[in-house]
Amino acid sequence: MADIKPMTGATQAIAATALRAQQARMRVIAENMANANSVSRQPGGDPYRRQVPVFTPIRTDGGQGVRVARVEPDRKDFRNVYDPGHPSADPAGYVKLPNVDTLVEALDMKEAQRAYEANLNVIETARSMEMRTLDILKK
Amino acid sequence: MNLAEIPLFSMLKGRFGHLGERQRLISQNVANSDTPGFTPTDLQAYSFRAQMQAQNRPVTTQAVTQVGHMAPAARPNTTFRAIQTKDSETTLDGNSVVLEEEMMKMAEARMNYDAAISFYQKSLGMLRMASRAPGRG
Repeated sequence: MADIKPMTGATQAIAATALRAQQARMRVIAENMANANSVSRQPGGDPYRRQVPVFTPIRTDGGQGVRVARVEPDRKDFRNVYDPGHPSADPAGYVKLPNVDTLVEALDMKEAQRAYEANLNVIETARSMEMRTLDILKK
Repeated sequence: MNLAEIPLFSMLKGRFGHLGERQRLISQNVANSDTPGFTPTDLQAYSFRAQMQAQNRPVTTQAVTQVGHMAPAARPNTTFRAIQTKDSETTLDGNSVVLEEEMMKMAEARMNYDAAISFYQKSLGMLRMASRAPGRG
């Protein structure tokens, strides 16, 4: 026998995958932010490389949700700063700093937050539509 | 009495189906608002004419002439077609979802849904009123 499911179930399932994906994105942003100043432990070595989440659609219950497919390293160049006294400086006196721009991360964070809110909004709307339908029973 | 046989109710039912489906597509768009290369989809606008035509067109199914034949499940005679509709801008990564527009669409779908529900309730109330004995509340 077929399951009886509310029509809004698919809507909420899709929005829920997006909430999860945005959470994962926030985790990556937090990682980038935390390591914005992490340099190499060896002199002249590479510092922390910024990570970028890549989203891709997936099939969920009755629709296309979203998930973080993979996290890729940002191929942008590292910043080079002349600081001969630094323990990680190479023989020429340059230190490689991570290619993380905290301003970009902050903007990304705001975007993730907005997307999260938008998806919460979808769930809220779907829920209220369902409640409205159930209200027919009251009268 | 079967409510779905009353034309008004069956049309409202079609409307609910349309709005629910639209809501699902919008949630899909919002979920993929950061997916590279994603194009949002939306349903074709609900038209009274198309709905009336679907109402009047009989649904034909294959005849069952032998015991072993299986009768297909009753198909709803309204089909909603999803079409790709780009929002006002496309970002560099090929994603053309604009969250604000999706939110607007969602609010619109919700308002229409509320309106349809109210209409359904009113019609039910009328039926109920007709079935009550006269002079009684």
